[in-house]
Amino acid sequence: MLIETRGLSHTYMPGTPFQVEALKRVTMSISAGEFVGIIGETGSGKSTLVQHFNGLLKPTGGEVLFEGNNIWTGEMNLRGLRSRVALLFQFPEHQLFEETVFADVSFGPRNLGLGGRELDERVRFGLEAMGLDFSAFKDRSPFQLSGGEKRRVAMAGILAMRPQVVILDEPTAGMDPRGRRQFMEQVSRLHREERLTVILVTHNMEEVARLAERLFVFYHGEMLLQGRPADVFGADSLIKDTGLEIPPLSELLQRLRRQGKGVRTDIFTVNEAAQEVLQLYRKECV
Amino acid sequence: MSGMHSITLGHYLPGNSLLHRFDPRAKLLSLLIIITALFLVNTFNGMLFFVFFLLVAFFSTNLPWRYFLRGLKPVLYIVFFTLVIHVLFTKGGQVFWRFGMLTIEERGVYLGLFMTLRLILLVIATLLVTLTTTPIAFADGIEFLLRPLRFLKVPGHEIAMMMTIALRFIPTLMEESDKIRKAQMARGADFESGNVFRRAHSLVPLLVPLFVSAFRRADDLAVAMESRCYHGGENRTKMRQQQITALDYLGVLTACGIAVAIVFTGV
Ligand SMILES: Nc1ncnc2c1ncn2[C@@H]1O[C@H](COP(=O)(O)OP(=O)(O)OP(=O)(O)O)[C@@H](O)[C@H]1O
Ligand SMILES: [Mg+2]
Repeated sequence: MLIETRGLSHTYMPGTPFQVEALKRVTMSISAGEFVGIIGETGSGKSTLVQHFNGLLKPTGGEVLFEGNNIWTGEMNLRGLRSRVALLFQFPEHQLFEETVFADVSFGPRNLGLGGRELDERVRFGLEAMGLDFSAFKDRSPFQLSGGEKRRVAMAGILAMRPQVVILDEPTAGMDPRGRRQFMEQVSRLHREERLTVILVTHNMEEVARLAERLFVFYHGEMLLQGRPADVFGADSLIKDTGLEIPPLSELLQRLRRQGKGVRTDIFTVNEAAQEVLQLYRKECV
Repeated sequence: MSGMHSITLGHYLPGNSLLHRFDPRAKLLSLLIIITALFLVNTFNGMLFFVFFLLVAFFSTNLPWRYFLRGLKPVLYIVFFTLVIHVLFTKGGQVFWRFGMLTIEERGVYLGLFMTLRLILLVIATLLVTLTTTPIAFADGIEFLLRPLRFLKVPGHEIAMMMTIALRFIPTLMEESDKIRKAQMARGADFESGNVFRRAHSLVPLLVPLFVSAFRRADDLAVAMESRCYHGGENRTKMRQQQITALDYLGVLTACGIAVAIVFTGV
């Protein structure tokens, strides 16, 4: 197991009238090379959870393990861990601070002690992995880019550390549909080609159903469900009790199924669903 | 993280006690009177009266004492510093202890304890007000108290408005700085080790985004206010009209009474 939590709990501001129990005894595990999705209504504890994976938050109960070692027992170097488990925060464009894109993207690798050719290559890798041309962007000011470009630069800064795991906290919130699709395609390619482990926190059910191999569903700080998207969004799943909606395609296929039609319901792309419906049409109407 | 939220000075706690319902203008006026009295008193007996009075006020509010004590934490350093300075450097009376140049003398111990108690009581009185008054009501109170200074061209309304906005944005900016700090730590930033210069330098990745975001917020707020045709204090009515009741007069009178009694019997 790459990342594991055992009975992980987190309470914000304990002992004050403002105390919030954001996570309650969460036990879960994620293997190397997986693409997992974390979903749940707003305030269900997703962001709190992922900040435990790289030691930004310290559990108030239970433990977090990386490659089988508890990250808080003292032997683990937290800065080292953070370069291997990278986290892209919500609205990451707000963390940009350098005068040029190059300087900003290189902040992470520089903190790892890199310089010279290696640094150049890391920055180039990060920018190009996000579909930004190295020579066109490296000398521009990050503050003069468009919102979508800023976000890619922020993501490039994470990738330039060459992490094993990237955690993305609502990476496409507020982007236009095309930008969103491109962004997720680039992430998905890194997952396939570089065997990057991806942990995606999102409110976009369609996206996560299509991309993730496994889903964890959170509700009021507890992990209520986990499994393959087909099971989590399946007909007899508890998902609707958690305040989430299932993707429209699944809804359609499940309704057809309920009417006694023989369609598959574990499909999450428009192309495949179209095939399925066409087949049904040919079988029944021709 | 925990450091960020331990600053409770001015953090309102909802409630329904007498102090909570006390009109903010009357409450601030009473606070002013009590603070003045605290500065005038110079006997221990007088101070003990204040201790008693503030304890009664505290218990009447039903505030959780742990939370309250936390609010005192930030001033403990100043209090401790005051005590040490007085004890070591104020001379007079019996000599308790001598070590080379250093002496601890009676008057120093006495003054040290006295000043310490005065400071703590000042903070307690202030906390009792800020913890039971919403920031908006507080600013209203300030505006009211500044009214007599209108003739000196003191812009009371503007000052109150600035205070409200500042108070409103303190938690937001703290949240923001917490978030940016974590985002940079996720990129390997180290805010804790190294000498003073290294540490100051390591704050750049935190401060630049924080200022950018503060300016953006200020700009947004200005646009929002302007598009609602906001203009200063002249002829502006209030959404929450505060009615002064007999109870409020009684409160201020009590504060006055206590202050006068203590000051005149104590001096
Ligand atoms: N820094 C903090 N201090 C106090 N409470 C917090 C803090 N951060 C989050 N919380 C509280 O913890 C709970 C879980 O918050 P969290 O941000 O983990 O939710 P989320 O699932 O990421 O929500 P969203 O989808 O809106 O991002 C919420 O009730 C929130 O108010
Ligand atoms: Mg979140």
